[in-house]
Formats: sequence, structure tokens, C-alpha cells
Amino acid sequence: MVKRLLTGLLLVIVFGSASGQEIMFPELSGYRKNTDFQVFGPDNLWDFINGAAETYLTYGFADLHIAEYKKGKNVIKLEIYRHIDHIMAFGIYSTERSPSFNYMKIGAQGYVTDGSINFFKGNYYVKIRTYSKSEKTLESVESLALRVAEMLEGSSDMPAVLAVFPSSGKKINEEMFINESVLGHKFLNRAFKANYEYGPDSFSLFIFDCKSPEEAWKSAEAYLASCGTDALESASGKYVITDGYNGTIFLAWKDSRMVVISGLSKDQADIADQYTTDVLR
Amino acid sequence: MTKNLNRRGFLRTSMAGAAGIMAFSPSKMAVPPEIQENDVIYRTLGKTGLKIPVISFGVMRADNPGLCKAAYEKGIKLFDTAHGYQNGNNETMLGNVLKDYPRDSFLLATKIKPVGLDKEGKPTKQTTTDDFLEKFNLSLSRLQMDHVDILYVHSVDNPEVLASKPVLEALKKLKKEGKIRFTGFSTHRNEAAVINAAAEKGKWDAILTSYNFMQTYITDLQKAINKASEAGIGIVAMKTLAGGGFFDKEKTKAINTTAALKWALSNQDITTAIPGMTDFAQLDQNIKMLTNITLTDSERNDLVVPTAESGLYCNGCSTCVSQCSRNLQVPDLMRAYMYAYGYSSTSMAYSLLKEAGVSDNPCGDCCECTIDCIKKFRIREKIADISRLVNVPEDFLT
Repeated sequence: MVKRLLTGLLLVIVFGSASGQEIMFPELSGYRKNTDFQVFGPDNLWDFINGAAETYLTYGFADLHIAEYKKGKNVIKLEIYRHIDHIMAFGIYSTERSPSFNYMKIGAQGYVTDGSINFFKGNYYVKIRTYSKSEKTLESVESLALRVAEMLEGSSDMPAVLAVFPSSGKKINEEMFINESVLGHKFLNRAFKANYEYGPDSFSLFIFDCKSPEEAWKSAEAYLASCGTDALESASGKYVITDGYNGTIFLAWKDSRMVVISGLSKDQADIADQYTTDVLR
Repeated sequence: MTKNLNRRGFLRTSMAGAAGIMAFSPSKMAVPPEIQENDVIYRTLGKTGLKIPVISFGVMRADNPGLCKAAYEKGIKLFDTAHGYQNGNNETMLGNVLKDYPRDSFLLATKIKPVGLDKEGKPTKQTTTDDFLEKFNLSLSRLQMDHVDILYVHSVDNPEVLASKPVLEALKKLKKEGKIRFTGFSTHRNEAAVINAAAEKGKWDAILTSYNFMQTYITDLQKAINKASEAGIGIVAMKTLAGGGFFDKEKTKAINTTAALKWALSNQDITTAIPGMTDFAQLDQNIKMLTNITLTDSERNDLVVPTAESGLYCNGCSTCVSQCSRNLQVPDLMRAYMYAYGYSSTSMAYSLLKEAGVSDNPCGDCCECTIDCIKKFRIREKIADISRLVNVPEDFLT
């Protein structure tokens, strides 16, 4: 009985952090598939991508599975990064995308650039690349990407919060999820960011969806306190503050949501008000 | 989930883990003479003659232009990025910041990784000059600069890269065109061998190397660094916080980051270090070291690795095997333990245990464990914990 309990406990411990589907690499017609690669985890991702690993770890990296497809001299490399949830997968994907890439509907979103296709779906961030310039190989890259996207489980939607950003003036494909140290502040975490153009001006809008109104209030209070301002109310509020590092900041919160705008000057409070009202309505 | 860790990969991981047992005393190292201007400590980067503050900025993870601006305003001069960081967004962000400052008021380093390196890090026929040049020119356009001060060949693990004709031709061309001032390479693994090879050739200007108090091979690395330094090659330190900034894999014991940086800079051959920074608190902490890098006694003590916190990773040194009265293959058992608890793969742990013919109670009635593990693992407890797995039906394994 005791042995059973102990074994059960061990399984709970090891199963507890091992959720996710088994990775089955698809075949690719005419290519020889090699899956004899190490699976990398948080402790040794450094061995594979060196310093870049730190960013992946910031976004809840769980493991990396690699396969290589060879046909003569042509090589296609497939990397499947699993993160702890869909938002984290979007987060790491968003750090590496650029509005200048050619976007395609694959998974939740993907793009083609310079022999590579990167996309995210569910908890997965997928990178497929070849150094070959041949048209046929590039077609194979796309074919492989579509098969992998079909194979992977999880949501093919963008994170729902992105729909909350006002569309007026929003720059396309620049939205990000920042998991830690938003605006360089340790006390600000987990924000979605979008960049805007408003006439000749540009600014960034951050949405923090907190777990509770108390958490939103505490985040707002911490930011205000760091700028030497005391918040008088807790349920909701709108402030303009001077952040010693980031300049003028418009800060507003209501219920569980907090909004921060940076890049506008104090005399542009009407613009900030328009956008924060839109997000917090 | 199937985890396909091969033995070679495991051994490499184990060696990384083994770093945790080093209790290296930095007190024997001489504090170098430095030039101080306005209290800021400068050192010269080898034969390049570049005068650089001892603290620089590893921009890699930073996504906030405000942080880079603040670093510049507070006295940091050398900004380090790479072609691959954030898929190029890092260079773009940094370029947007630095374009507003006089070009001679900062130093810029980026890195290009040659394509087509094989599993051992050797160049192949796929390693081409054109690809290297194409990548660099893209980097330059992202940075909005007409030149960078240091171009590193990114992540050199094998000395053969240093003699790669396509790479050397690309560097020569870029230097001739005035697009780079100095050439170097970065190295994360096999550092001592790569640095020694460079020192013998002597034609490289700078080396960016992993360097921290946790490295098990620190003596060899220091000798190589010294040899390169004497050959006129400037040395820049990275990974000064031993990777994750924690003593243990479970991330419960934080390293004193100031002490770790000061320790690296206590080596007179290191010109500057490039700590990664993502928030203003880290920046402010590191800025203090622009004017003071003296390691205090208290900080020195903070760098003594707590032996009880040596983590999940067995070195595979096998010292334990002869100490075990039951002649158990303890390294295999520790590896199984790591698979289960470190990689959450009970199936791999199970396979290893079965392969090794381990019973569900290999220690049996052995009263007292005679093994003195150099990592201070509680061997008996770990064996008792992991060996139970052999009784679990395979269908339940992950």
C-alpha cells in the first residue's frame, strides 16, 4: 500500500509538468527524415541557441524538438518549441516577428522570410528553415509547415486580448506580449502592447489583464508610487505621471484591467483619454 | 512525450551542471591597474586600442528603447547585439536608439553566425562568404549604421571555424570596405581550445567568451585568456552570472550578481563584461560598478557555491561506483533521476533503469551509505526515490 502511494506520488510529480502532445514529425515526400536529435529543456536550451535561450525562458519555454529533412544537398530544419501556454507561445513569436515579413495564415499566424517559415499555434512556436535558394526546396518548406500546423494541437486564434486594442491608428503586426519587466520596470509584468500612429505622433499602448481588481490596483499603485504619486481611489482611476525613465505616462485602470500609454506628451491627454476609455469601457 | 536525449548530449548537460561544485577563490587574482576618467573605470581592448568602461550592455533580451537610452546616458559605451537576437528586432531597436547619438560617442558590436556548421561546429561546403556578407549587410541596415566597431563570428565552438576561408574572406572584405573596424568571435563551449587556437594565430582583435566563477574548467580557460591577451587580443566577458543567475537548477538560491560581475572583472585580462539587462533596477545596480569593481569580503563569500545546492545534474565522474558497497552504477541512477525530475520523462528514466537491471530497492538492507558524492547528492535518498519507478506499468509513463 505504502509502495503504491509512493509510486503514485512520484507519478503526480513527474506527470504534473509533462503535459502536451507527443511530437510526431510528419514525413516529407522525397526527403529523408532524421529525428535523432536531443530534446532540449529549460536547463540546456543554452546548448542549442546560446544566449537567445534567456528570452525563450522568459516566455515559459518547456521543451524543443528538432528534426532535419534531407534531399541531396538540400536540408530543411524543423524546430518545435513548446511553451507553457498559448499566450507565452504568442509572446515569444511576437518578439521575433517584424511587420516587414510576408504573413500567411498558418496556425494562429505565421510568416515567410528568407527561406524560413515561422508560426505559432496553441502552445507551440515553430521555426522551419532552409539555406537552399531553390524554388522547389522553398515549396517543400511551405508544405512541411502546413503539415506541422495540421499536426499540432491547440488554438489557431490570436490571443483574445488583441481584439481589445482600438483599431484606429494601430500598426499592423507589431503587437507583442511582454511577460516580464514591462517598460523596464520589474513590478510591471504580463502586458500586451500595440504601437500607434496618430497624425505625426506615435505612441505605445499596454494592456494588463490582471487576475483580479486587487491585482490591477496594486500594479497601478506600485507604478504611481515609483513616480512619487499616491493613488486616492482603488476601483478605477486615471493619472498622468512622469516616469523618470520613460517620460510622460498615462495610467488608467478599471476592474481587472490596467492601461498604460507611453510616447504622448502631457498636452495630448485628450488622445490618451480617448484610447484608454475605449479599452476600459 | 518522447524525449530523445542521447548520451553525448547528456554528458554535456552534466558537465554544465558540474560547474556548480566549484568553490573558486577569486582572492588570488590581482586587481588590474585601470584608467579612471570622471571616476569611470576604463580598460583597453587589446591591440584595438579601444578604451571601454568595465561595464557594457548585452542588449540581447532588451526590448525597451528607454533602457538603452538610459544606459547610454549613464555612461555605458559598448552595446552588444547579434544578427539573430529576436530575429533581427534587437538590432532594429538598438539602431533606432543609437542613431540619435554622435557615432563616436558609443561602440557597437554585433555577431554573425556562419551557416552550414556541422554537429561538431566545423564549417562545411555550405559555409559561404556570400551568406555571411548578406547577413552582415542586413544587420548594418537594421542598425542604421555605416559601420560597426566589432564584428564577432557568432558562437565558435570549434577552432576550425577560425581558419574557415569563406568566413575570413568575408571579414577581410568588410574590413576593406570600412564596414567593420575590428574582427572577433564569440565562444560559449570548448572555449579554452578555441581561444588557444586564436592566440596562436594572433590575427583576431577581440574575443567574447563565457567567463564565470562556476566554470569547472576555469583554470584552463584563464590560461587561454591570458595567452590571448598577451597576444594582443582583447577579451570581453559574457555569461558572468553562470547562465541563469542561480546556484541551483530549481532557482531557489540566487547568485549575488554584483559579486559575480566583479569577480569576472577581477581578472586583469578581461576588458569589459556585457551583462544582459531588461530592467532599470538591473541597470542601476550595474552602473554602480562603472566606478567600483572592488570585490568585498562579503561578496567574495557570496560566491562560494553552497554544496548542498548542487542541483539535479550528476557529473558522471563515477567516483561513487567504487565507494558503493553494492557496486551500483550510481551515475546511471542519478541520470535516471534527472530524466524523471529534470526533464519530466519517466519513460526515459524507466528505460535506463531497466537497461541497468535496477531493482525497486537496489540499496536493500544496506545500513549506511558509504558514498561521498562530490556534488553532495544524497545518493541513498535519490536511489530510493527513483528506483520505485521500475514497478510502474509502462503505459503510465510519460
